[in-house]
Amino acid sequence: MNRDSIHSITRRDLMRLLGIGGGAAIGAGLPGFEALAQSRKDTLVIGMDIRDTNNLDPVRDLHYTPPMTVHACYDTLLTMDPGDYITLKPALATKWERTPDGKGWRFTLRDNVKFVTGNKMTAQDVKYSLDRVNYIGYQAAQYLTNVAEFKVVDEKTIDVMLKNPIEPILTILAAPSFSITDSKVVAEKGGDATPQSKDKDKATEWLNQNSVGTGPYKLVGWERGAQIQLVANPTYWGGKPPYQRVVIRHFEDSAAQLLSLRRGDIDAAFNLLPEQLTTLKDDKDLWIKEHDSLDFIYIALTHNPEFNKALAVKEARQAVAYAIDYDGIIKNLLGGAGIRPPNFIPAGLLGATEQLTKEIGFREDLDRAKKLLAQAGFPDGFEFEIIYGNGAIAGTTYHVLGQKLQADLGRVGIKLKLNPMPQVNLRTLYNGGKMSATLVYWNPPAVENALWSWATVQRVAKRLHWTPPADLVKLVDDAATETDPKKAEALYIEYQKRMVDVANLIVLFQPRYQVGVCKTIKDLPLTAAGWQLEVGGVKPSA
Amino acid sequence: MLRYLTSRTLATIVMALLSTLIVFLIASLVPGDPVLAQLGDLAASNPEIVKAYRAKWGLDLPLYEQYWIFLKNLANGDLGISISTQRPVLADIRQFAPATVELGTIAFILSMAIGIPLGVAAAVGRDSWIDHWARFVSLIGVSSPVFWLAFIMLTIFYGWLQIMPGPGRIDPIELPPPTVTGSFLVDSALAGKWELLHTVAAHLVLPSIVLCAATLGLITRTTRASMLETLGQDYVRVARAKGLRERAVIVAHALPNALIPVVTLAGLAYANLLTGTVMTETIFSWPGLGLYTFRAALALDIPSIMGMTLVFAVVYLLINWLVDMSYAVLDPRVLKR
Repeated sequence: MNRDSIHSITRRDLMRLLGIGGGAAIGAGLPGFEALAQSRKDTLVIGMDIRDTNNLDPVRDLHYTPPMTVHACYDTLLTMDPGDYITLKPALATKWERTPDGKGWRFTLRDNVKFVTGNKMTAQDVKYSLDRVNYIGYQAAQYLTNVAEFKVVDEKTIDVMLKNPIEPILTILAAPSFSITDSKVVAEKGGDATPQSKDKDKATEWLNQNSVGTGPYKLVGWERGAQIQLVANPTYWGGKPPYQRVVIRHFEDSAAQLLSLRRGDIDAAFNLLPEQLTTLKDDKDLWIKEHDSLDFIYIALTHNPEFNKALAVKEARQAVAYAIDYDGIIKNLLGGAGIRPPNFIPAGLLGATEQLTKEIGFREDLDRAKKLLAQAGFPDGFEFEIIYGNGAIAGTTYHVLGQKLQADLGRVGIKLKLNPMPQVNLRTLYNGGKMSATLVYWNPPAVENALWSWATVQRVAKRLHWTPPADLVKLVDDAATETDPKKAEALYIEYQKRMVDVANLIVLFQPRYQVGVCKTIKDLPLTAAGWQLEVGGVKPSA
Repeated sequence: MLRYLTSRTLATIVMALLSTLIVFLIASLVPGDPVLAQLGDLAASNPEIVKAYRAKWGLDLPLYEQYWIFLKNLANGDLGISISTQRPVLADIRQFAPATVELGTIAFILSMAIGIPLGVAAAVGRDSWIDHWARFVSLIGVSSPVFWLAFIMLTIFYGWLQIMPGPGRIDPIELPPPTVTGSFLVDSALAGKWELLHTVAAHLVLPSIVLCAATLGLITRTTRASMLETLGQDYVRVARAKGLRERAVIVAHALPNALIPVVTLAGLAYANLLTGTVMTETIFSWPGLGLYTFRAALALDIPSIMGMTLVFAVVYLLINWLVDMSYAVLDPRVLKR
């Protein structure tokens, strides 16, 4: 596929068709066009549904897609390599160790790092950036509640002092929300990092169109609902970025995305459906990049007999879990593009593997499900209602998943009543704990085991009207604060066994990201750590 | 004339406000909580944050007070802040409107420029090949669903023949023209970027054809029917009896009279084209008002929904008003009634 020749044909034919231009105009247009064709090779065009991009200011709520752009423009203190979510890697900090008093962490900053603005990155910038996250108080600030203070020691050393010194913080600081920004320029543009910043900070509008980070690329414009424009950062500490420009192009529709990929107008298509991906397999100009995510789709079951008498009984919940055809869901509905974790910690994190799922996780076992039903006092089965959102997920829809579950549970006499609704209504009911069962999505803002396990014994437990036993809560706390990875792993395995027994959270699958890619791209380093793609690591073929 | 004008204008304003009240009530009665749609899972579970958020967006006030605030702000020309984009609704509308207006206007011009001559030709040459052909075109236009037509057009002209550019307002590699009006056609012309103007025009071709298809069908059918009726009138027979050339009979005598129902329809059609772009904008990734409204509705973003209701109501009412006024010009009897 020679995209340049295709393109010039397009234009000439088009002009003829429109009756505008004419010979002279085409002649006059060509030199400019050649210059563009030249720059096409130096431009990476990513096709993606970015409708949820509402902000590109790191401190604001970043939903699903903005972290990719933010991570391309900014660095955090620490980071993670794609595929390894257990080992932390140095980014702007080259060394981290406990503070001498043991109450926090001391970070030593990388030497000679300059912001894209030309200013030198110092500990003051780190403090300003993290204070701003904390005081502005959006979602990301919720993960800093254990931080007592960000303290500048000297120009290249900063301490993060903690209220409870053993709670995890390092993995959290790797999330794009905790990006380091040029404090001087942000302050100039109306930024504020004081306790009053909630009302005083006015920098977001500017940061939505410009970036002031240390990352490989620099934001130069964002046309809402259309595209995000990045250019290479000439002062990047990690060497010259592979592309001169990066364009993240919005596609509302996957079929249009596929057409554009085939035409070579975009280099990578992020939102293709399984059946569209299969059509790519025999195209010699394209390839498919796959990567296991850390997101999952799960079922939550209530403990409250007022909502459902049967589900309040543990054995009845277990019966539901053993009546589901997990392999069938992954194989037939996802086209094989998924894996399954043992319980509420995604496979790929500490102590959670697919192997463990086989050993301790739920599996399809209809005889066992029937026995459990009898034990629960419902030998003929029971009925319950499940709520879920109208919408697509992982190449299928919640409704299709619901129908599959309905058929599966029907085999043991459990009647499932399907209740689809708008996402916003679903969240209202689920957050308020006003449902008997729900089928929903979970994706992590930062990669830290405790963010999942705490949720299950805290806010999710509340929604399910479940009071977790004290020893289980202690187990979760112990696992979160254990500093020896081996011991922490053992504790997390124990935690997952306990949760499987409780059977109020049934994870169906973790989808695998599948991206259609042009042969013009050699490497597309996808990551599940929260920013989808390591944009700086995308390299063209020779 | 003045009294007619005043009464129509007043009615228009009342209708526009009434429509916002109805939409406000519907949006407020839906069981979903807009705050939860905006907050992350963790923040949404913190009652303090939820409370602060509610207070910030005025969602903790009684309904009548919320609506009163909306009216007060409106009087100051302020539509409030969108909950989901966290920007003034007016800024959002200003951002997304030009793309829709550009697309809708081109589609409107296309449907008029093709529909009226086609309808006239079909009526004049009744039951000839051109009549059959016009019927075929309008049938296809009216009856094919937008999403289907959009895909077929994209697949054929972009995918196979490769003579048309893909979705979006410009090629991914191009930078948009400096914003003056927001219309890429006008802005790239103002900036003297002819190469870009070509790209912009090319990107408009497929979506505007798709968008205008249904309207084109309607205009053609209405023009044809109205023209046929007019051609049977006495004054046309008189004109012919006077020995006027057929061309003069049709263009000077029949057409102006036949166009009255078409004008009414055209007004509504234009309003329809401006407000009914959701599907076309979805498939062509067109950053316009249709998509913006659709997303606002999904997120229960009440300020945006109200703002858009007002805009859509004003568009409809304004166009209706213009149509009413044009009657007065086209047919002086209207004023006497």
